[in-house]
Amino acid sequence: MSDLDRQIEQLKRCEPLSESEVKSLCLKAMEILVEESNVQRVDAPVTLCGDIHGQFYDMMELFKVGGDCPKTNYLFLGDFVDRGYYSVETFLLLLALKVRYPDRITLIRGNHESRQITQVYGFYDECVRKYGSVNVWRYCTDIFDYMSLSAVVENKIFCVHGGLSPTINTLDQIRTIDRKQEVPHDGAMCDLLWSDPEDIVEGWGLSPRGAGFLFGGSVVTTFNHTNNIDYIGRAHQLVMEGYKWMFDSQIVTVWSAPNYCYRCGNIASILELDENLNKEFRVFQAAQQDSRGPPAKKPAPDYFL
Amino acid sequence: MAESRSNRAAVQATNDDASASKLSCVKKGYMKDDYVHLFVKRPLRRSPIINRGYFSRWAAFRKLLAQFLESGISSNETAQPKKQILSLGAGFDTTYFQLLDEGKAPFLYVELDFKEVTSKKAAVIENSSQLRDKILGANSSISVEEGQVLSDHYKLLPVDLRDIPKLRDVVSFAGMDPSLPTFIIAECVLIYLDPDSSRAIVNWASKTFSTAVFFLYEQIHPDDAFGHQMIINLESRGCALLSIDASPTLLAKERLFLENGWQRAVAWDMLKVYGSFVDTQEKRRIERLELVAHDAGKSIIIHLINLVFHPFYVMGKGISSIYEHYCVTYAVNDAMGIFGDFGFTRGSRESMNISSAMSP
Repeated sequence: MSDLDRQIEQLKRCEPLSESEVKSLCLKAMEILVEESNVQRVDAPVTLCGDIHGQFYDMMELFKVGGDCPKTNYLFLGDFVDRGYYSVETFLLLLALKVRYPDRITLIRGNHESRQITQVYGFYDECVRKYGSVNVWRYCTDIFDYMSLSAVVENKIFCVHGGLSPTINTLDQIRTIDRKQEVPHDGAMCDLLWSDPEDIVEGWGLSPRGAGFLFGGSVVTTFNHTNNIDYIGRAHQLVMEGYKWMFDSQIVTVWSAPNYCYRCGNIASILELDENLNKEFRVFQAAQQDSRGPPAKKPAPDYFL
Repeated sequence: MAESRSNRAAVQATNDDASASKLSCVKKGYMKDDYVHLFVKRPLRRSPIINRGYFSRWAAFRKLLAQFLESGISSNETAQPKKQILSLGAGFDTTYFQLLDEGKAPFLYVELDFKEVTSKKAAVIENSSQLRDKILGANSSISVEEGQVLSDHYKLLPVDLRDIPKLRDVVSFAGMDPSLPTFIIAECVLIYLDPDSSRAIVNWASKTFSTAVFFLYEQIHPDDAFGHQMIINLESRGCALLSIDASPTLLAKERLFLENGWQRAVAWDMLKVYGSFVDTQEKRRIERLELVAHDAGKSIIIHLINLVFHPFYVMGKGISSIYEHYCVTYAVNDAMGIFGDFGFTRGSRESMNISSAMSP
């Protein structure tokens, strides 16, 4: 068994790698990711997955439902880290799979794959807690800068973490972005990772998130028509039912973190596309308590007590 | 069954959790509390959403308490009316010591809790000169064994709140005067008791104190997905919310008081409390506290504010905000007629008056 296969087995048990192993894994991943396009081409069949947010055991449920990689071809739409208890193990497992099976798993960047955001929402703290230094956080956030910004499945389904940008009309415009940087606070790259579709918005609107934009149905219609796209697949927003179509099936939100933050009580989903792009949503629940390792390792979700 | 869902030690442990969370807020600069650190063995960092929730609760509590302390004081009278505060299930709350520092301590401040808790609190007070010196006087005594602290203006006493006759005795032993304006505090306390006990306490308080404000902070909405998960998570740590089904909504919280003798009751969820009651300036201040944009300019900081504090962007139906699952309810009895404009809307009415006074 190669080192990498051994590391994947270890990570599947939710055991983190050593700092030096993380370093060399990240170097290998960087070589692969740097070659990817800002609009990475992905072949069908493929399974689309939304936010994971460090919920490692729930991601194991996802693989149970969707099948193992490399048998199943996966496209993850970002937000691997923050909020859950196992951002380190979650991200490293996905990254190790990427290095081992580069053509069978695609990872695109979410708004949480950012130095600033991870310092507020938990990934930074988790790295320091588990490794006693910031090095692993540095290696991982450096890798974030290399991750692709979007993907297109069979040239028909445009996939992105957040949504559209008023400065972007064509996929070619996305291709010209210099993505190897921290997520900026405005501009096209920021918008792709931060924007949300919104029913009541005509055209473009200000986002309550403070970054990205809200965009309405006409914006999506124009974008899909211009780029000869059937629909947009995105994540970024909690959907209690796991997924949601909007604007007459021109855009779909896929959410893959069941019982988000261990508090929200929602179900999750993945979207399976077969070789003919036929769609099947598979919904799933959070992992049972007894599959989550020893009880002592489970911190309780926070409430006001 | 009820035993495993709810056990005394686990419910008492919520007090440690709350103290640690308050300390997390204090360390981040949300609020000042020079004493809470004395009660926390293992400090920890809470997430922004939890810090802000504790801050909102604290801000609402202190604002309503300030209104109570100011009410009935007319500018041409030098003698202030004597007032008292009764804290039910006080835990390690340090409000009394803060009020002393602020020169706002009432005539009498009484804290009640299980003996396991009051005993620990008495020990901390005894061992900390910072606290001990504040209450020390000719008539003061501290007994860790009895779980008791007695001084002229502050009393800490053990009692099981579910035992109303004992509660009555303890309150009378503490020297509370039923005719004085009284502020009663119950933060995440009644919800852990069975509904009959919760009602009995609310009813007893109304019958006992004719000029009083009851401040209640606790959970609502057990029936949606978030609430359902909250019940599961809290029960799994032995903290069943035994009373939540008896008053699951804002309306039901108000009814709990109105049906048990209180003249007036208002309940708001914490989203509304934060949005419409917490001072705007305070909000502006605390919304900057969690930002870590050391390499960033001012505009970036402002940019980041929203994303730190609006963590859940939900599509479709379903409340998933933790702030909508907690509420402040206040109830008023006003025999002396001093609480006319007491409440959430007092500030806004004042500002309306000011603006109308200023207009020509």
